[in-house]
Amino acid sequence: MTTVADKRPDLRDAAAKAGRSDRARSEARLGWLLAGPAFIVMLAVTLYPILQAFYDSLFNFRLTAPDDRSFTGLNNYAVVLSDPLFWQALGVTVFITVVTVVIELLLGFALALVMHRAITQLRGLLRTAILVPYGIITVVSAFAWFYAFDINSGYVNHWFAWVPGISTDLNWFAQQGTSLFVIIMSEIWKTTPFISLLLLAGLSQVPTELEEAAEVDGATWWQRLTRVVLPNMKAAIMVAVLFRALDAFRIFDNVFIMTNGANGTEVLSLLAYRTSIGRLEIGLGSAISVLLFLCVILICWVAVKLFKVDLAGGARGAG
Amino acid sequence: MKQLSTRAKIAWALITIFVLAYALFPIVSIFATSFKLPSQLNLGLFWPKTWTTVNYEEILAPGGSAQTLFLSSLRNSIGISLIATAIAVVLATLAAYAIARLDFPGKRMVLLTALGVSIFPVISIVTPLFNLWRNIGLYDTWLGLIIPYLSLTLPISIWTLAAFFRQIPWELEQAAQVDGATTWQAFRKAIVPLAAPGVFTTALIAFFIAWNDFVYGISLTSTDRARPVPAALAFFTGASQFEEPTGSISAAAIIVTIPVVILVLLFQRQIVSGLTQGAVKG
Amino acid sequence: MLTWYINPDDGGQAEIAKQCTEAANGEYVIEVSVLPRDASAQREQLARRLAAKDSSIDIMSLDPPFVPEMAEPGFLAPVPDDVAQRVTENVVAGALAGATWDDKLVSVPFWANTQLLWYRKSVAAAAGLDPAKAPVTWDQIMTASQDQDKYLAVQGTKAESLTVWINALVASAGGSILENPEAPADELTLGLESPAGEAAATIIGTIGKENLGGPALPTEDEGASLSIFQGDKGSFMVNWPFVWSATKAGVEDGTFEQALLDDVGWALYPQVTEGQPSAPPYGGINLGIGAFSNYVDLSYKAAECIVTPEHQAQYFATNGNPPSNTEAYDDPAVTEAFPMADVIRESLELAVPRPQTPYYNEVSTGLQQTWHPPSAVDPATTPTESTDLITAVLRGEQLL
Repeated sequence: MTTVADKRPDLRDAAAKAGRSDRARSEARLGWLLAGPAFIVMLAVTLYPILQAFYDSLFNFRLTAPDDRSFTGLNNYAVVLSDPLFWQALGVTVFITVVTVVIELLLGFALALVMHRAITQLRGLLRTAILVPYGIITVVSAFAWFYAFDINSGYVNHWFAWVPGISTDLNWFAQQGTSLFVIIMSEIWKTTPFISLLLLAGLSQVPTELEEAAEVDGATWWQRLTRVVLPNMKAAIMVAVLFRALDAFRIFDNVFIMTNGANGTEVLSLLAYRTSIGRLEIGLGSAISVLLFLCVILICWVAVKLFKVDLAGGARGAG
Repeated sequence: MKQLSTRAKIAWALITIFVLAYALFPIVSIFATSFKLPSQLNLGLFWPKTWTTVNYEEILAPGGSAQTLFLSSLRNSIGISLIATAIAVVLATLAAYAIARLDFPGKRMVLLTALGVSIFPVISIVTPLFNLWRNIGLYDTWLGLIIPYLSLTLPISIWTLAAFFRQIPWELEQAAQVDGATTWQAFRKAIVPLAAPGVFTTALIAFFIAWNDFVYGISLTSTDRARPVPAALAFFTGASQFEEPTGSISAAAIIVTIPVVILVLLFQRQIVSGLTQGAVKG
Repeated sequence: MLTWYINPDDGGQAEIAKQCTEAANGEYVIEVSVLPRDASAQREQLARRLAAKDSSIDIMSLDPPFVPEMAEPGFLAPVPDDVAQRVTENVVAGALAGATWDDKLVSVPFWANTQLLWYRKSVAAAAGLDPAKAPVTWDQIMTASQDQDKYLAVQGTKAESLTVWINALVASAGGSILENPEAPADELTLGLESPAGEAAATIIGTIGKENLGGPALPTEDEGASLSIFQGDKGSFMVNWPFVWSATKAGVEDGTFEQALLDDVGWALYPQVTEGQPSAPPYGGINLGIGAFSNYVDLSYKAAECIVTPEHQAQYFATNGNPPSNTEAYDDPAVTEAFPMADVIRESLELAVPRPQTPYYNEVSTGLQQTWHPPSAVDPATTPTESTDLITAVLRGEQLL
């Protein structure tokens, strides 16, 4: 042990050239011994099911008619991809994803600034308040928003009857636009805290000296934000956007509770659920599941390749 | 601490009010609904006209129409979420230690896998699991939910803990190793006490995620044996199957929200640091 | 130990389970387990478990439209001949039809539901109608509620209740949604592209387009209908008998005046064509015995206990769900709780069940997909659209 003082194992390894291979081998063994179980569990709960889903998607298989199961190749995919309902659900899903991510990014950044700058006496209170939506069950949030806007049990119409377009006769869940509005509101309320915490982490990494220097140079608040703070936070913003986008893409709970897909609010997850769990058409449902999975992969690929989001940035310098 | 100008004070007061309104309004709203008489739900008022606890009696009092449904789901939710959290945290602690501390081929792959699993569309897993669980008898059991819950809790636990562990002063461990302890002993004696707060925070975050699940809950259960709270809320009913269960759902929603609010109140500092570290450093 | 999967109610089924357990003297114990609130979600849960050959399902409360889907793959244990004979005595026609698949009794009729026309006597009188005297038509109540500036309460939400409405209208006009409900999936023929289908679409479309149902119509379920009916804009409503017990409860807890209850009248479901008797909706619950149960014989014994006329009468009086056995209507407790019991019995004799096919879920969801929102329903296009969608879905060519 000649390198006790070195804190980083890679440096230590580099220094300890002599015993390197032995040591590396035992470290690798220990590493896999410790990380192996988690790794295997993660694969078991995702890789296996998605492979199974792909296999199932090649069959015409209805659970209540188990004897009629037959191999149909890629026919299920042809049915799904040629169906306007699938494309509509995809469109709605993408719309919800884009709108929620943009609004959450702005609102989340504002909340992150509030948390970052908050004077000490208020910091605990503000953080607690912002964390509450994060901890709330999504289904509870969905019910809260639903009951508030519902034409029968709601009070929103009575409160905002003075706003043009809103009256006590407005049925929010009777058209696509207004239904999506409430769904998106609930989604934003529940998940903005998460994005703002990611952004807070980014904020705290912006070197204060830089900001102070800019202030001394006479930069306005806006200039400091756009020229110093934001560029230094780029990585954090990208990670936050990607995580939230993928999360929003899976939206299910809010839609299920509020409209169950009525009035053109069908989203991909709900379509997959209704097909495989509701209609028990395992083959078709699995095909939708696989397509949904491919969409997620595609989003990731685009983010990583085009926008150079460095998701595993920490992994390389680990230790 | 700089002395605040009056203007700054007012600004902060306004900001605080805005943030509190944003964060708490929907909860207050459902809280108010939970105290409304079933026949007075449709008056279009925010606060109840007559305050009543009848909705809470429905779900809590013996003989209440949703009592068995709610209490058994509460038991299931607590039990399943706790077990899924515990397993995830134990596995993640081992893995995160290896990631933060050791150099081994495939380390990056473990982290990327965790990332991949955490963005996996839940609904894609549900159909095959549903089919498999039916065949091997895990459908509608605790274990049948605990296993898929690991796909939610394990990845974030690994990332959060790996970030925590990177900040631990590892010299202590090396000092212990010099004193003749094995790597395992060094880990247990020197590091575990330091790592405990991080592990606790991770457990809290993982618990929230498991507690929040809805898709697995409605797809992989069908009776009181394993149905968790979010799924059970969709099963409530009014006095007859045609009447709206608005009141009981609101009351149940408030009850399951109370522990969340208490945990957040007690541990906001830890949760914030846990989430921010896992996110950016990782 | 027998497990009875029940649809949620006001505790009536649990009470009957207790009474039958006591009466069985230790031969069996019935334990209830609650299913979801929504009819199609109930089917989902049961079908899922039965497909898993679950032996813990002994007795199930089944919505009649889903009986064929459970019977066809053999999920229901065959009804022994002697039991079949006993449980069909004095049972109304609609309930028998709903319990039968392929000309065989496959489930035990328990309670039978039907919709009546409920009306505010004051509004009907102002419009010059007396539904209690002579049957009224849809046209009449639509015009009446419009003239009186009131809302017609019907179920326009995208759910099973919409199918119930469509089926009743089509059947009342002398047609049927499926012409050959027993056929395999790819040979099913729909009967919507017909004068009956167009008549149904005309009624729903007009109510939607002319806003006769009010703004809540596209999300209006049975409970929401009731609250509109009870409100200032209430006029006519088609709904199940639970509305009577619910309104009475509202009067008892002080939310409503006694005057409201006194203003409520009832009559047979409205006619589509004047002079042609209506075909009211038929609902209710049958008891199915799980084919994989370890105690099929005991379960049938328990089912027979559950459906005795006394239990049906008790269930009606306490939970508002009407009996399928005509004998139960003579119970004094019933006539006291439901003064309209006679009209209900009459309505049940006229009632027409929804299509009895193993593909009911596809048919019903397909209808909801195309006949919603009500304002978009057009007699010229909607029947064709729904026929095309359902046909394509049944052939596996389209998603639902």
